[in-house]
Amino acid sequence: MLNTTCPHRSFKGIGLVFLLAGCTSATGPAGDISASVHDSGAVNAQSLYEMPTPNELFQIVREISGEGQRQMMSPAVNLTHYNTKSKRALNFGVYATDLVFASSFNLTSEVARYFIVCKKLGDDLGLAGSFNDSDLARLQRNLTKGDSLDVISDEAYKQAYRRMREEDMGPVLSLVLAGGWVESMHLVTHQVIHFDPQNALVQRVAEQKVSLNHLVDLMGAYPTDPEVLNMKSRLLAIRDIYDTFPVVREPHKGISPSGRAILGDDIQILATPEGFQLLSNALEALREDIIRPEDAPKAANA
Amino acid sequence: MDLRKIFFIAACAASVLTSAQSECSDYWTGAQRSSDARFRTNGQSRGASVQVGKPTELNIIVYKGQDYHIAFAYDEKVLGDSIHVRLIEKVREANIKPSTDGSPSSITYADVRKVIWDNAEQGGSQDIEFTATSSKRMAIEVTAPGVSENGGKGKRSDRDIGCLGILIEHMPTPNIGF
Repeated sequence: MLNTTCPHRSFKGIGLVFLLAGCTSATGPAGDISASVHDSGAVNAQSLYEMPTPNELFQIVREISGEGQRQMMSPAVNLTHYNTKSKRALNFGVYATDLVFASSFNLTSEVARYFIVCKKLGDDLGLAGSFNDSDLARLQRNLTKGDSLDVISDEAYKQAYRRMREEDMGPVLSLVLAGGWVESMHLVTHQVIHFDPQNALVQRVAEQKVSLNHLVDLMGAYPTDPEVLNMKSRLLAIRDIYDTFPVVREPHKGISPSGRAILGDDIQILATPEGFQLLSNALEALREDIIRPEDAPKAANA
Repeated sequence: MDLRKIFFIAACAASVLTSAQSECSDYWTGAQRSSDARFRTNGQSRGASVQVGKPTELNIIVYKGQDYHIAFAYDEKVLGDSIHVRLIEKVREANIKPSTDGSPSSITYADVRKVIWDNAEQGGSQDIEFTATSSKRMAIEVTAPGVSENGGKGKRSDRDIGCLGILIEHMPTPNIGF
């Protein structure tokens, strides 16, 4: 047996290798082309990725659309039918997003239900304590105060997220984020009643191309995990649809309403009725696959 | 050197650095908050250990219709008195290659990086507030210069890896005036 102590100060060179491997880092998405036109500094950079919490998107959507539709959330009864780690991770992302959605839209009867679902699934994933009893009690005390609900749910979501990141559960976190992204898109897309390219909600859906690209980049850090690869390939198919949407870039005209600086060009991603329908269908098909209980037969046309 | 010893040393180094990452994870909470109390902490705030001279970038999403404040906290004894910060927009651009034989044109996509803010051009400013008029993928790139040989009044450290925290705050873009 080796009787050696850890030399804390002497291994900067070796340490750097592990430092880069240990954090949520990626040097670039696998299978994609990376180019630097105006900047070439990223090649050797340590890259870290963060995703916005669903709360951010839902707050924006709430201002546009007002009401949330509880029937659009994933059925809580499916919880016990997710048995594999990947399915649990994906659906943890789905349910956590549903919880944040219910909280954002003050669907009070659903909040406690989805919190318990997240707690159970989180425990199964090794995240015991991320959605804890004291948070649940706090949530139940505040069920009549909508503003507090989204804060408490958002905090619980962040706790789970941080835990996965700090415990090097990168592939699991990737799947959780993928499940959450798909569920967010499902919930927001269903807020669109009639397609109109100028509709603020349609534009919000179209501009989620940036969050999808971000997610795909993030997943590129795990090029050998088969479950991450499988989900990434499904997301890339959705990105192919997004790539058919014309993108208009132009310098911003005028000043910000708040007087703050404006950085970069204005970008508009233009959805066509056909493109929006294709996107919506692809999202629904992927979501159906994600939330389908593992003991349920696959639909013939899926 | 004995192979087992090499693995052991590497494992030790990994353990030390994992622990360093963990120690740095909440470093962003020490960054100066905006004086505008309407800003709320954004979940993409992050702490990490960084190496002097090596760029580190935090990739985030900013949403249209939101104002953002980004500020930094860092270990000055290791990373230096001021850091170089750039905000880089990542754009997925199409390159259309016309065909020469009558077949359809081929399209490839590439991520292009556009520097949209550089604190070297802003007097070394250590924080920024801005309005997002479009949703964007953005990399917050930080490079720490370290402490110079004769600078820092005895602060110089023999380490070259220190903690960096990036605080991100956001709020819906408010209107000012009447």
